[in-house]
Amino acid sequence: MQTLPYSALTNEHISHVYEAYYRAFEIFRKVPEVRTLTDNDRFCEALQTTLKEHLTVIPRLAMGILEIQDSVSGDECDRFMNTLLRSRISRRVIAEQHLALNETFHSPWHFDGKKSAIAPEDEFVGEIFLKCNAKEIVEKCAQRASELTRKAYGPTVSLPKIVLQGHLDTTFPYIPSHLEYILGELLRNSLQAVVEQRSSAEPPPIEVLICEAAQHVIIRVSDQGGGIDREILPYLWSFAKGPRRMKRLKNLGKVPRLAATMQDLQLPPSHPESAAGSGEKFGSSLVSLSGRPPDLRLGIGLPMSRIYAEYWAGSLELHSLEGYGCDAFLQISRLGNKNEVLSTRATMDAV
Amino acid sequence: MDLDRFGKERIQYAMIVAQGAGSRLASVMLSRRAVARHNGLPLPRRPLHHQSTRHIQTATVTDIDIARLASQPLHPLTLADLCKHGHPPLSEQALLNSANFTLSLLPARLAHRIQSLRSLPYIVVANPNVSKIHSNYVHSLSTLLPYASRRIETLKDEVAFTAVMADLVQTHNNTISILARGFLEARKYITALDVTRFLDEHLRARIGTRLIAEQHIALHYSSQPHNSLHTSSTPQNSREVEESSYIGVIDTHLKPAHIIRNCEAMVGEICELKYGVRPTIRMVGETETAIAHIPMHLEYILTELLKNSFRATIEAGMEREAIEITIAPAPAADQQTRTGEEQSRQTGGISNHDQGSVDSASGNTKRSSVNIRALADSTPGVTIRIRDRGGGISPENLKNLWEYGFTTFNEDEINEKTSSSSSSSYSSGGGGMDAVMAVGGPVGGSSLAGLGYGLPLGRAYAEYFGGGIAVQSLWGWGTDVYLSLRGVGRV
Repeated sequence: MQTLPYSALTNEHISHVYEAYYRAFEIFRKVPEVRTLTDNDRFCEALQTTLKEHLTVIPRLAMGILEIQDSVSGDECDRFMNTLLRSRISRRVIAEQHLALNETFHSPWHFDGKKSAIAPEDEFVGEIFLKCNAKEIVEKCAQRASELTRKAYGPTVSLPKIVLQGHLDTTFPYIPSHLEYILGELLRNSLQAVVEQRSSAEPPPIEVLICEAAQHVIIRVSDQGGGIDREILPYLWSFAKGPRRMKRLKNLGKVPRLAATMQDLQLPPSHPESAAGSGEKFGSSLVSLSGRPPDLRLGIGLPMSRIYAEYWAGSLELHSLEGYGCDAFLQISRLGNKNEVLSTRATMDAV
Repeated sequence: MDLDRFGKERIQYAMIVAQGAGSRLASVMLSRRAVARHNGLPLPRRPLHHQSTRHIQTATVTDIDIARLASQPLHPLTLADLCKHGHPPLSEQALLNSANFTLSLLPARLAHRIQSLRSLPYIVVANPNVSKIHSNYVHSLSTLLPYASRRIETLKDEVAFTAVMADLVQTHNNTISILARGFLEARKYITALDVTRFLDEHLRARIGTRLIAEQHIALHYSSQPHNSLHTSSTPQNSREVEESSYIGVIDTHLKPAHIIRNCEAMVGEICELKYGVRPTIRMVGETETAIAHIPMHLEYILTELLKNSFRATIEAGMEREAIEITIAPAPAADQQTRTGEEQSRQTGGISNHDQGSVDSASGNTKRSSVNIRALADSTPGVTIRIRDRGGGISPENLKNLWEYGFTTFNEDEINEKTSSSSSSSYSSGGGGMDAVMAVGGPVGGSSLAGLGYGLPLGRAYAEYFGGGIAVQSLWGWGTDVYLSLRGVGRV
């Protein structure tokens, strides 16, 4: 962040985030080598506090980026966000993984909200669910997205059905929260587009295709929601939005728990299973973002999803049939030995 | 044969050369004719394959002429230009205007092509196929030079001029397959990248040149003074009388569904011939959509795409599953503002440059600026999505998808019906040659695949008026192809 132009850091959101990271750095560099369990406990506590504190990073950064559009170019902002978010995912994954393993170590049979009764070690390695079943996850996300949409648009709105096709038995190892976030965003976009387009008769279904190959799994979400507006198209993957900036900015301010102080982590009662179902116990910024009502359009869903997808050497692509609908292609690399995709120092320094 | 592969190639090369023109040396050494050509000496009169060119005047083309013409800037043609002479049938004056306008554009364009060809490595142009194309261009320029100094003022002149145009179109009919062969033979002397770059520019320019010529010819045949004289030569003519939706080669009320059905029938026939089965198409979306576009182009693109889909479907054994084609008309936009060359990472989608979607197969080539620009307030376009279950495109093949001359079609393997495909025709020398020799004939002829030009050329056609082709492969399942076409404008 220090390499951002000075003007960027005069923005209060960005400087707030900078301060948070600085503090975190200070804390962690002072932690001595962990030799005993007590050391570990202390370390974990530090981890947890910091994680909590950094929950607001994403919305804040997004707001900051939108606000500094005049002084810093869109491209540079995008590059910066991509780099930062990638390394952030990496750090949080490592941190949360350790915390999860720690938790398992301490209480192997008491796994909050873990659905199955089988020994957790079989299926979960910390945060990673070894046998993500594509079908189940899609169905879950579909349900959740549908509920949210219904809440937002009223109970009488007719929602399109979400139809699954393809290789429905596919399983692969992944971090469920990531996958759920991506799918949630995609489905939410689709649902919204379809609902906003025609409020009357039976809306055409959203088709989700799951296709597996030796090396990867592809999920295609295909809707008939009218496609993407021509004027937004160039800014689809950018954090630096074009024509809808002001609205996005306002909406970002409304994201639940964006508040300057993060007191506690009570999830609203309407989402009893949001943390539990995914095995996610520390609450994450993803959960708070996923829980927002669908008409709160933040404009960061797609670029964020792409970063998450690409983090594990996957990809996210979108094709729009203008006036008709949209196809999103999420490709997930199946082999667990792919390295994480980070922006290295070399790529950052390169012009 | 116990000749090594190199030896085998040389023999094949020699055979082709010997077939091509008897008097040339069957080797890569320069022939005297080629030397003569390069020095700008007058061309010996080439025996052409049809009668009517006997009475076409030619003038000697010197290097000076070429240099002079090539130094002129190319007028960036707009579709308004093509249509500004009016709705047929044209009046005499309008027809003359059209002829003069065409005349003002073509010589410079041809000169540019010649220069571009000449900037290829010497040894590549020495290849008999490539040099044939080169001499074709020089010949065409020579037929236009007599008109260089004067305008076309009389109907008689105009008829002669139209004959020249027809000769131009006819001569260059087989450019693509001949060039393909030439580059295949000369692949040792030029890199695949250079070939792609050259072909991209050349073929796109060719689209323009042919369009200009064909437009004039079509306008000529549909115009009042000539209707009584000429009966049935051009395909447009018989339709002209009934359908006034045509302006030259542009059909202002073109229904993609119609073309798709035609192509389906044609490609289906070939499939039945070759494989014994015929995949079907299911059309969804708004099938009655009509746009203003050039039927010839659309037919080419769709034929190529369907060829790919059909072949993949059959080879994957999924011929019972219909290929789904969705026709999606874009909503009418009042003012379509293109935000310049905004490519996010890679190109793909409607007016490829605007859409932020990614087509992982397409390269990042710069488009030449010689293209025809679509009208500013175009009629809305249409997106056609072709979804097949042919198993998709393997990751290794994906990166070669848009290269000229890359094909996964291999005659021998088809018989064994293996699922793995041969690699680039550039590396499987023998196999590639077989494919080329098996194809023969004009592009879009009776073979199903083999040249490796379908996709890149199809994309060139689509992008010519601001559309594009994007390919999304679901390896293990099928492929989705998104063909976006922008209307060629309100005329």
